Amino acid sequence: MSKVLTLYRQYRLDRRFIFLSLTPILLLFLIFSIAPIVWGIILGFYQYSALYQESPFIWFDNFTNLLKDEVFVKSFWNTFKFVGIAFPINIVATLILSLGINKIRSTFWRNTLRTMFFLPTIAPLSGSAIIWSTMYKNDGGLFNMILERLGLDTVPWLSDPSIAMWSVVLMTLWADIGFNIVIFMAGLDSIPVQFYEAARLDGASRYVVFWKMTLPLLQRTTLFVTVMTLISYFQMFPQFQVMTNGEPQNATMVLALNIYSNAFQYNNMGYASAMATVLLLIIMVITLAQIRLGRSKWEY
Amino acid sequence: MRKKNIPYAILFLVLLLGGCIMLVPFVWMILSSFKSNLEIISSTSILPKAPSVEGYVTVFRDAPFVRWLMNSLGTSVLITLGTLFTSALAGYIFAKFNFRGKQALFVVLLGTMMIPFQVVMVPTYLIISKLGLLNNLMAVVVPSLVSAYGVFLSRQAVEAIPYEVIESARMDGSGEFRTFWQIILPQITAMLSALGIFTFMAAWNNYLWPLIVLNDNEKMTVPLALVFFNSKNTVNYNVEMSAGVLIMIPVFIVFLIFQKHFIKGLTMTGMK
Repeated sequence: MSKVLTLYRQYRLDRRFIFLSLTPILLLFLIFSIAPIVWGIILGFYQYSALYQESPFIWFDNFTNLLKDEVFVKSFWNTFKFVGIAFPINIVATLILSLGINKIRSTFWRNTLRTMFFLPTIAPLSGSAIIWSTMYKNDGGLFNMILERLGLDTVPWLSDPSIAMWSVVLMTLWADIGFNIVIFMAGLDSIPVQFYEAARLDGASRYVVFWKMTLPLLQRTTLFVTVMTLISYFQMFPQFQVMTNGEPQNATMVLALNIYSNAFQYNNMGYASAMATVLLLIIMVITLAQIRLGRSKWEY
Repeated sequence: MRKKNIPYAILFLVLLLGGCIMLVPFVWMILSSFKSNLEIISSTSILPKAPSVEGYVTVFRDAPFVRWLMNSLGTSVLITLGTLFTSALAGYIFAKFNFRGKQALFVVLLGTMMIPFQVVMVPTYLIISKLGLLNNLMAVVVPSLVSAYGVFLSRQAVEAIPYEVIESARMDGSGEFRTFWQIILPQITAMLSALGIFTFMAAWNNYLWPLIVLNDNEKMTVPLALVFFNSKNTVNYNVEMSAGVLIMIPVFIVFLIFQKHFIKGLTMTGMK
């Protein structure tokens, strides 16, 4: 009987503890995460602006206007262009680099190389964007100085609509490949050495070892890396705002920047929210598809 | 053996070259910071011809530079401490207690990680303005005190602690909160330091949200400050670069000192 009583007392204490500690946390979570998500989606159906008193409900008008909005359509495709170029290069390059660095026998040099590649990731993106815009300058920028020294034509890195996006991609890759290199290196480290020994004894070629063993065993790491990289690339903002601000001719106008400008410069918050909802749908579809496709079949 | 060494040497040299290229922008930043503004605009030389500290002097003279550093440090520390506390506590509850709707709540929590910031940006701005926190440093802190990812990582870490440990603490008459503070926390410090480093870095480097809610020069955080010189003094590249050096180099030094923890933390948060 007394055991039941203590159990009951414990139960009551547990309830109280859960209630007292979880309530403030969930309240913060509700106010600054759940409510904004719901509100953000709803705002897309209103003509909302902080400047006006009235904010009428306008059904799907914002969304139909989006289709007619040339800048939006351009920013939509630009976002895919940016991700479509930067993401595959990032994944392939970081995979190759981490395989390479992991082959280095000296621990000192392995760590030093990793640090060299990682250093740019700890600098604020806005600051890095400023450094890169001075390097990209037409006159007196580092890249054109080097081209001149080599006797080549200079390149209008940020002012030519057909080049600007590539320049931003290059800067982005420099700024964040370090993350994925570190994670891939750890993933490679966690594959048991015996597997490689067994493969060698079986006479498997390096090509076979990589495609049939390393890559499948790395699947969990790859899934994490690809999901995180895609989600962050679709939302990339600082370098676009600082380096080009969408110019020239909206060639580097991406959704994230377009949403920011509409919401906080033109004060079209409802319209901006409709755009954000489109971005949300893109990211959700892609993330869920990836998780589906990439679910790991390997355990070790 | 010798045959094998040549490709290895090539691999090493290529990687070393790549690593050095990664450092070029920082070297460029440091070199430019010692040039005069005129030299940056007109010269075609990579090295400063007449080194000057004009840029550095301007940073301290024309801007509340120390204030900016303090703003960033203060907000980032508060966000980090807050996130660690709420993550650990919520993680403990999700891992070791049962209550109605727990699973659903956890799924919702994880789901929010997929939501792009652009979706919540406008409503959060409106909420912050209703709370009267616009242009206040607390506007940067308050929305970032709970992290879904942090709760997720903490739950994983706490789940590894056996129930017996908690039971025996209860037997000794320890209250629930004391059990959490004295028994659970010390067992998940590795995870917490990893989470702490990342929360701090994300807060320190965050650009978009402070850009939206902070207006006054006095209130700016470091990432905004770097851009401040870009827009206000349109062509003062040497000032921008000096500010960049002053802000980035100390962070690099701190990073190099704590590198081991940092990398371990990154891989730990990444692998789970």
